Amino acid sequence: MEFNHLFIALLIFIITYAIIVSEKINRTSIALFGATMLLFTKVITQETAIEKIDFNTIGLLIGMMIIVNILRRTGIFGYLAIKAAKAVNGEPWKIIVVFSIFTAISSALLDNVTTILLIVPITLVITDTLESNPIPFVLPLILVSNIGGTATLIGDPPNIMIGSATGLGFVDFIVNLAPVIIVIFTVVIFFFRLKLKNSLSISEEKRADILAMDENLALKDITLLKKSGVVLFLTIVGFIMHQYFDFESATVALIGAALLLLVSKVDPEEVFLEIEWPTIFFFTALFILVGGLEAVGVIDFLAEKMLDITNGNIFWMVILVLWGSAIASAFLDNIPFVATMIPLIKSMEAMSTFSITPLWWALALGACLGGNGTLVGASANVIVSGMLEKHGNKLSFFKYMKVGFPIMIVSIMISTVYLIIFFI
Amino acid sequence: MRSIVKGEVSQHTMKLQQLGAKVNVINSTLCYVHFDICGFILQYVYNINQKGNYFLERTKPYPLALQEIGTEKDVVKLIKSDMNKFKNALKCHHIDSFITIAREINSTYRIFEETFLNYNIPGEKVDKIHKKIQALSLEIEIIKDNAQILFEEETNT
Repeated sequence: MEFNHLFIALLIFIITYAIIVSEKINRTSIALFGATMLLFTKVITQETAIEKIDFNTIGLLIGMMIIVNILRRTGIFGYLAIKAAKAVNGEPWKIIVVFSIFTAISSALLDNVTTILLIVPITLVITDTLESNPIPFVLPLILVSNIGGTATLIGDPPNIMIGSATGLGFVDFIVNLAPVIIVIFTVVIFFFRLKLKNSLSISEEKRADILAMDENLALKDITLLKKSGVVLFLTIVGFIMHQYFDFESATVALIGAALLLLVSKVDPEEVFLEIEWPTIFFFTALFILVGGLEAVGVIDFLAEKMLDITNGNIFWMVILVLWGSAIASAFLDNIPFVATMIPLIKSMEAMSTFSITPLWWALALGACLGGNGTLVGASANVIVSGMLEKHGNKLSFFKYMKVGFPIMIVSIMISTVYLIIFFI
Repeated sequence: MRSIVKGEVSQHTMKLQQLGAKVNVINSTLCYVHFDICGFILQYVYNINQKGNYFLERTKPYPLALQEIGTEKDVVKLIKSDMNKFKNALKCHHIDSFITIAREINSTYRIFEETFLNYNIPGEKVDKIHKKIQALSLEIEIIKDNAQILFEEETNT
């Protein structure tokens, strides 16, 4: 009976994972089907499946989606982008730099996919006005959105999952990851400076068109902006303080979301329509699938093997997790990968006599920065590629990889040095 | 896909705002209605939203903006009434001429609009066209007054 459950759980997990990777079927549909098959074959009971769902991750995702959906209605992102473009006199390279800084910070404080959805359309309007090829403007934004998102607990879904599973808080992520992220960000900007140095000239006439844009026209609702700004500020303060008051991060996000829904008077139905429910259900199904593997002992088995391979040496464990996550996340969806790695590392923690905290930072850096490696490595990359194609500027897999992959390798090398110096 | 559409909407919104427009984006559902009446294709499109009105338009056999409607019940009622009129008109042997004339009126309207928006037209030519249109309208009214009534006219069409 035990062996049957082990075999069935492994089979369901491998088939589901392979189909998610192949992208032949919608990832949420196949993940939900796989999760329900675990119930149908009685590998786990419904009660166990529900226990395995990490409601802190789900609550944090939903809470932030609600806040951002209301905030975007104010037009603040368009306002700030036009103001920034005018502040640098419409000079293309400076626009890239200020938009990159804005994207990195915004990705860290909201999340990287949302930020890309807000900033790339504005960038395309700017490049249309400049009559410039949008790819040199948009490509750095994709990369820095994934880099900026790595710096905080809420910036990228892998970090949300890691934070929720480990109890590491918003401040822990900033203190431990933000320094290396600032270094990587600087290196990436320097790389683009060298690459784009002589290719960004525009006419005075086009520059004047940028300066003629009116940022105030982008603002839609000042009252809503004030309310959303205050609630977002309080939510971020809440994230900073949540460990001191013993609140889960999801509690903070959901309080912020509920407060904003209440004071903004925006129709909740309209807001809920904009929540990315397929992503939420994808997470839910993955927690059940990985929970199935845990229940039959596969995760413990893999953890033992990993300890054997690395001889229980923390240095090799960090290297293996960091580089393994980066390479895997460059080609696979990093969400199922991290969902599998979390119980694995937890299991290793239970079997080890030393602190494995560096492994969590290695996982966060590897999984988030690895997404920059290829066009399919992160949701932000896929969305921007779709937007560019619709705009008539196709960004091919290899054209992206020629830039993204070396940047990913350099980022992971910097992370390796950082982890060795400060954590091992 | 939904994300990409959202991005597209943001771009249009920003460009239109810079032109001075106020843009109100709302979630709605677009319904396409298709009837095949013995090979005669009748098509409508209407939009349902939670912000107020429903917008109904006939797209085939020739485009005609029917109206803004208050409830979905009225949408179905209006389509049903329109379809019944076409079903009846199909029995008439002038139907092909009727469709041809309606399409030509639509095409003439487009030519008229393009001419007046893109060219500088002298005032006397405008008056001449206006008089011809009035004469045509009058002729249609006279024909209508002398014809047998098949359907009562709906005041809101």
